[in-house]
Amino acid sequence: MSKVKEAYSEIESVVGEDFVSDKDFMKAAYSRNVDPAFPDQWADIIVRPETTEEVSEVVKVANKYKLRIVPRGGGADLVGGSVTSEGILLDMTRMNKLEVFNKDDYYIVVGVGITWGDLLSQLIPEGYTPGVTGPGSGFAATIGGGLSNSTAGGGSTKYGLVPDNCLGLEVVLPNPEGTIIRTGSWANKYAQPFCRYGVSPDFSGIFLGDVGTMGIKCKAAMRIYREHPYKATRTFLLNEYDYNKLFLLAKKVRYELPDALLGFSSFPPFYFAQFKNITPELKKTKGPGASITLEAMDLETLEKRLKTLEDIMKEDTAMVPAAPGANAKPNLKQAFHYFQAGISPVPGRIAMATCHKVPISTLGKIHDENVDWNNRHANDIPGSVPAGVFEATQYLLPNGNMVVLGGVAGENTDEWHEKNMELWHSKIRTQARYGGAHYWLGESISQAVAESGAYTPEYEQFFRDMKKTVDPNWLLSPNKFHLHTYESKFKDHYKEPD
Amino acid sequence: MTEFEPKEKFKHLAKIGPNVLQCIACGDCREQTDYTANPPKWGVCVAKDHTSGFEPFFARGKMQIIRSLWQGKLELSKDMADVIYQCPTCNACAEACAYDMDNVAMYEALRAELVDAGCGLEAHVPMNKAMVELLNPYERDNKLKGKWLEKLDFKVKDASSEQSENLYFVGCTAALTPDIENVAINSAKIFNKLGIDFSVLGEREVCCGSVGMRTGDLKAFNSVATKNYEIFKKSGVKSIITSCAGCYRTLKKDYADYMEELGITVYHTMEFLAKHIKEKNVELKNLGVKTTYHDPCHTGRHMGLYEEPREILKKISNLTEMKTVKQAAKCCGAGGGVRKGFSELSLDIATSRVKEAEDTGAEYIVSICPFCFRNLTDAIDSSGSKLKMIDLTDLLIQALN
Repeated sequence: MSKVKEAYSEIESVVGEDFVSDKDFMKAAYSRNVDPAFPDQWADIIVRPETTEEVSEVVKVANKYKLRIVPRGGGADLVGGSVTSEGILLDMTRMNKLEVFNKDDYYIVVGVGITWGDLLSQLIPEGYTPGVTGPGSGFAATIGGGLSNSTAGGGSTKYGLVPDNCLGLEVVLPNPEGTIIRTGSWANKYAQPFCRYGVSPDFSGIFLGDVGTMGIKCKAAMRIYREHPYKATRTFLLNEYDYNKLFLLAKKVRYELPDALLGFSSFPPFYFAQFKNITPELKKTKGPGASITLEAMDLETLEKRLKTLEDIMKEDTAMVPAAPGANAKPNLKQAFHYFQAGISPVPGRIAMATCHKVPISTLGKIHDENVDWNNRHANDIPGSVPAGVFEATQYLLPNGNMVVLGGVAGENTDEWHEKNMELWHSKIRTQARYGGAHYWLGESISQAVAESGAYTPEYEQFFRDMKKTVDPNWLLSPNKFHLHTYESKFKDHYKEPD
Repeated sequence: MTEFEPKEKFKHLAKIGPNVLQCIACGDCREQTDYTANPPKWGVCVAKDHTSGFEPFFARGKMQIIRSLWQGKLELSKDMADVIYQCPTCNACAEACAYDMDNVAMYEALRAELVDAGCGLEAHVPMNKAMVELLNPYERDNKLKGKWLEKLDFKVKDASSEQSENLYFVGCTAALTPDIENVAINSAKIFNKLGIDFSVLGEREVCCGSVGMRTGDLKAFNSVATKNYEIFKKSGVKSIITSCAGCYRTLKKDYADYMEELGITVYHTMEFLAKHIKEKNVELKNLGVKTTYHDPCHTGRHMGLYEEPREILKKISNLTEMKTVKQAAKCCGAGGGVRKGFSELSLDIATSRVKEAEDTGAEYIVSICPFCFRNLTDAIDSSGSKLKMIDLTDLLIQALN
C-alpha cells in the first residue's frame, strides 16, 4: 500500500469516511481558486476537519508519512494561496462557528472557517462590528484567510488590517506531535482571550501573514467594536492629475477627522467617467478621485463631519452630488459582487493582482514608478486593456500608510500563462524594490518578493529557523516564499531588475 | 489554443458553450450570508449544508469538475454521479452568483453526459423507464390519472375530444397520489366556480418529462415531450394551466420552442388565478388562519413567480414569512431526482425547512407544488411537527366558498 493510501486510511479513522476523499473528481474540484493564471493543482487527499483536535491528528499522520499539508479557507484568493499539487489539502470551512460573542469585554472567538458574510450578519444587527469588514475577495472569504494574508478590507482605514484586530489564536503546529497552542492572553490557561499582549512574546504574530507556513490556525479571538449606525460616502474628483495632492488631502482628512474616517479609496480618472458630465466643475477635473466614507453615532455629528470634509476638499476637487445625510448603508451584496464581476475569465483576460502598502508620502513617487513599469512592458501585454490600471487605486490605512492595488491584466490563453506569470512576478519585484510591503501573498506574491532580494540573508535564516522549529519535517505550505526546503535559499531564485 | 474551445466529446456541455467555464471560483455560491440583502440570505446550498459539504456538493466544485472534464483532465464516473445527483437543482447558487449563469442548465448537461456515459444514477433508471413506457414516472397504470375526476360533482371537458380555451395539466404527482389529489380536485372546483373554460386529459395525460430533464435522461424526456407536442397541437388550446411547479417549469421553459410554435401560453394555477381574481374583482374571504409560504424552486428561482401566490395568501389568511423567502428561500430537497436517489438526504433537507416554518408560529405551511407538498408532509410526519401541510388551492376553494 502506498504511503498516501496508508495516510488516507488513518485520516479516515480520525475524521470519518464522509470527511476525507481521494477521488479524482474531488481533487479536480479543489484544483484552483480565483486564480486562472495558475495551472490546476491536484492534492492527494482532501480533508474537512471539524475540530482543532482533528486537525492535530491529521498533522500527526502527515508527519508520519511525510506528506505536505496546505490549509484552505474560502478559496477566494487570486494568488495561488490554497492549492497543492501533492499531499493533504485541509478544507477548514467546517470550523465556522461564532463560538463566543462577548459584548461585555468586546471580543469574539470564531472558527477560522467562518465567512465574513456570516460574521457580519451575526454582529452588525446586534450593534457590533469586527472593524475590518472583509477583504476584496468577497464575503464568502474566511476570517482565517484574512489572518493568514494580513488582509485589508472594508473599514481598514479606521481599524487597520485584519491581524491588527486579532487578540489570540488557537493553532496546530505542523510538528510530529501536532501540538496545539493558544496565543495572547489565551496562553494563560486561566485567562480568557481578551488581550493580545502581555503574557509572553507576541507569538500570535508568527502565524499572522504567514500564508499558512508556520501553523494551522483553527480558532481566532478578535476584537469587536460598537457599530456606528450613521454612515455617508462622498466622492471628489481632483482638479489636477496630481498624486502628491492626493497624498496631502489624505493626510489632512486623516488628521482632521480621526474618529469619523471609515474609508478613503482613490481611483484613476477613467473610473469616474460616468460623473464627468453631471456638473461643469466635474467636467473640468483632470485628476483621480476619492470616495470617502465617514461615520458617526448620530446624524447631527455625521453632518458636521461631512461639512468638515467638504471644506477640506473644496479647494482642490469637485464633489459628485450626493444624497444628503447618511446615504451609506452596509451592503454586503455589493461587497460580494463588485470584485468578482470584474475578473471574468471569459472572454479571456485575467487579473493578476497585487496589494501592497506604502507610506502615503511616497504616493506620487510610487505612482510614477508603476507607470514607468507599465510603459516599459506595454508591448509585452497583448489586448486592449492597459496593463496595471489598478496601481492607481489606493486605500488609506491608519497611521500614514496606504494600500496600493496593482498588477497585470493578462491574456487568458494557454500560450500566455507562462508569460503572464513572468510579468506578474516582475511587477511585484519592482514594487518590493521601491519599498512596498505586500500582503495577500499566496504563492506568486510571496515568491516574487523573495526573488526581489528584499529579505536580508540574516532575516531569511531567522525565518527558516523559526519554520524549522515549528515544522521540523518542512511539510506546511513549503512552496510559499520559495521556502521549498530548509536548505534552499532565496538567492537561488533572485532576479535582476528588468 | 484556449480552454474555451468547445469539446466535441461533451455534446451536452458544448451546447451551453464557453459559459460553462465562466465560473471564476470565488465561492459566493458556497456561503452567502447577507442580512442586508432583500430578501436576506442565510446560506445558499442545502445540499452542501446537509452533506459532507465538499466542494462538488455546491456550485463551485461542480463548475471546476466541468472545467476539468472540458480540459480532458478528468473522466466521468459513477463516483462523480453519486455526488452530482445529490443536488436538488434548486438554483440558489445562481442567485448568489455575480454572473448571469444558468447553473441548472449546466448541471443538467453534466448529468446528461453522465447518463450517456453509462454513469447515471441506478435509482433513476426505473423512474425514467416508466415515464417512457407507462407515461408517468411512478410506475403506475396511467389510467389512474383519471380517478380524481370521479370525485367531482360536475363534468369536466375532455381535451382529447372537446374544445376549450384552457387545458388544465394536472401533473403525475397530484393525479396519481391519493393524498395529494385534492390539488387537482380543488383546482378544478375553483375553475368551475369562477366560470373558467377548461378541459383535462385525464388518463391520456402524458408526463411532462421533468424528471427526465432534471436527471439527465434526455432520451426519456424527448420521448414524452414529442408526445405532448402532438397532444397539445391536437387540443387547440390557447393556454395550459398547471398546478404543479415542476410541470410549470418544464412546459414553460423546457418546451418553450414548442409552445411558441403552437401559440400556447403556460400558466401556473396561481399565476392564472391571481390575474383572474384581480381582473374580475373576485371576493375572497379571509379564513383567519395563520400561514407561512414555501417557495417551490421550480416556480420561484427557476421562473420568478413569487408575488402571485402571496397576493392570494395575504387576502385569505394571516401570512407570516419564513426566515428565508423568495430568491433566498431554502429548497425542500425533493427536486432534481434527490428524493428518488437520496431519500434520507431529501427528508433531512425537508425537515430543516419544516423547522424554519415552525419558527413562524404558523398553523399551515402552504405551497403550490405537489412534489414539495409530498416531501414536506413526510418531514412533518417524521419529525412529529404540529404544522399542517396544505396546497394553496385547498385554502382558496374555502375562501371562495
